[in-house]
Amino acid sequence: MDIIAARNLAVGYDTSRVLSGLDFDIPEVRITAVVGTSGCGKSTLLKTLAGLLPPLEGELFFGAERVDFQSEASLASLYHGIGVLYQNGALLNNLGLFENVALPVRMHHPDMPEAVLREMVHDRLAQVDLLDSAAKFPSELSGGMRKRGALARALVLDPAVVLCDEPSGGLDPITSNHLDDLLLKIRETFRTTFVVVTHELRSIEKIADRVLVLREGRLHFSGTLAEVLASEDAFVRTFFHRKADHDDA
Amino acid sequence: MDENGASTVSLPRQLRVGDIPAAFREIRARREEGPVTVDFRDVEEFDSSSLAFLSYLRGCAADVRVANVGPKLEASFEAFLGGTPAPSCEVPEPGFDVRVLHPLSDRFLDRMRRLGRFFVLLSDEIYHTGAYLKERKGVYPGEVWNQLFFMGYKSFPITCILIFIIGVTLALTSATQLKLYGADIYLADLIGYGMVRELVPLMAGVILAGKVGAAVAAELSTMSVLEEVDALKTMAVVPEKFLMVPRLIAMTLAVPLLVALADVVGITGGVIVGRMSLGILPSAFLREMKTAVDLGDFFIGLAKSVVFGWAIIVASGYKGLTVGRSAGEVGRATTDSVVLSVTLIILIDCVFALITY
Repeated sequence: MDIIAARNLAVGYDTSRVLSGLDFDIPEVRITAVVGTSGCGKSTLLKTLAGLLPPLEGELFFGAERVDFQSEASLASLYHGIGVLYQNGALLNNLGLFENVALPVRMHHPDMPEAVLREMVHDRLAQVDLLDSAAKFPSELSGGMRKRGALARALVLDPAVVLCDEPSGGLDPITSNHLDDLLLKIRETFRTTFVVVTHELRSIEKIADRVLVLREGRLHFSGTLAEVLASEDAFVRTFFHRKADHDDA
Repeated sequence: MDENGASTVSLPRQLRVGDIPAAFREIRARREEGPVTVDFRDVEEFDSSSLAFLSYLRGCAADVRVANVGPKLEASFEAFLGGTPAPSCEVPEPGFDVRVLHPLSDRFLDRMRRLGRFFVLLSDEIYHTGAYLKERKGVYPGEVWNQLFFMGYKSFPITCILIFIIGVTLALTSATQLKLYGADIYLADLIGYGMVRELVPLMAGVILAGKVGAAVAAELSTMSVLEEVDALKTMAVVPEKFLMVPRLIAMTLAVPLLVALADVVGITGGVIVGRMSLGILPSAFLREMKTAVDLGDFFIGLAKSVVFGWAIIVASGYKGLTVGRSAGEVGRATTDSVVLSVTLIILIDCVFALITY
């Protein structure tokens, strides 16, 4: 069962088309990695999947529903189904970590009893190993902690899909590995679907079930991790094995 | 002159970035006289600017010929710029439409688009504020009080100090003139009416535009740059409501209180100058002032200040939320918000004057 589907999708900005002719499906309870060279449009695609940037062309489906970017109700329905982990976490700097994680609950369920809310937030912070830092402000957290805090916030209302923009970006290998373990654990426990934009080959090999390879404004390759790793396509080989064609000679 | 009748410009053995401008000038001067051959025969040492220069020369028209490029230079050129098309050295002079009409029409359309976005935000804020007052949802609990503390309590000292100084200055300059005509007592009328009806609301608005408006624009634009606003959207939280409504409500509550206090402080400045400069007793000053200023004037001043406050918040919110993605735009948004707020305040003041006088 696919939870997100793109049909002939073109994404970009008023003045420039970044990607076009995209046709892909994101399967449920799987981790799909979106890869490609720098500037190929991975983050732009993620913005469209997150409902922040209307497509220039084509259609995006979330579950069975077509996302209508002109309709506030349709976008609200999309927003309720997704969580987004931004590159820098994007925690609100004027709120402490606890309040950042509590924010979606407070906004959408203002009548939630405070005791239950505290329990919800504590559970999420414990899952990302940040319970001891609940009272800290984002400025007092390291990059890895901010990302884990943002992940806790993205997960607090149990979204069906979490979109992650370079979760390992700027993190050391140990922290990055820890974050990968966390995504796998969350996927197993809560059956969450992840779409992960990343450059980290080790991370892709560890967590990805499916891979979308973007190149020169198009979807160049799409398949399972095993298919991607076994691919004879020159670009895919270059990307995943850091190996150009002439190296084989 | 070479065999084709072209004058020759020979380049030095070491062709570095510092040698390019002189060679360029010489080639340009010779071209005015006829075809030029640029001779690379002596060039043995070069840098990347030499490659760029060679690329430029090869893109020139037929009257510039490149000769004797050595194998080392040629190999480097192929390695670094081989696949890059040479830039054309003949850049056509843009026509009137490209130079003048296109930028003008682009700028006009951009201004119209911005104006449209401003009014959309304004109407959004009216709607969201109404919705919040009705449903009490979509705003962070306690945020109105936080903003009230910042806009009211934190702005109170600077506003009152400046208004006091303005009251003193106005009284001093007026007293000198009034004394000449023996109209000393009318200082009370002038200070009372001028401060309550015009100067205090206007100056309080300008001070708040600088203090509160700039802070709001800086905060919101930083949030936009750091993707915090996007994060709110994807949490299905409406940023225009979550961020703006508490500020709008806080401003609505804070400004009349500030202006009422500033009225008292400003008039006190006038009373002190009246006593010290013209010998007017405070009781006489206040009695005379009452003949010129009534409660209606006081309330018009308060009403104006509330509208100024809304203008400040909407202008700063507009600048803060429509910022781009670079850190430099935060500074620009902050400055622009103050300029826009002060412009709106003066325009609104003028409209009030037209309606109420």
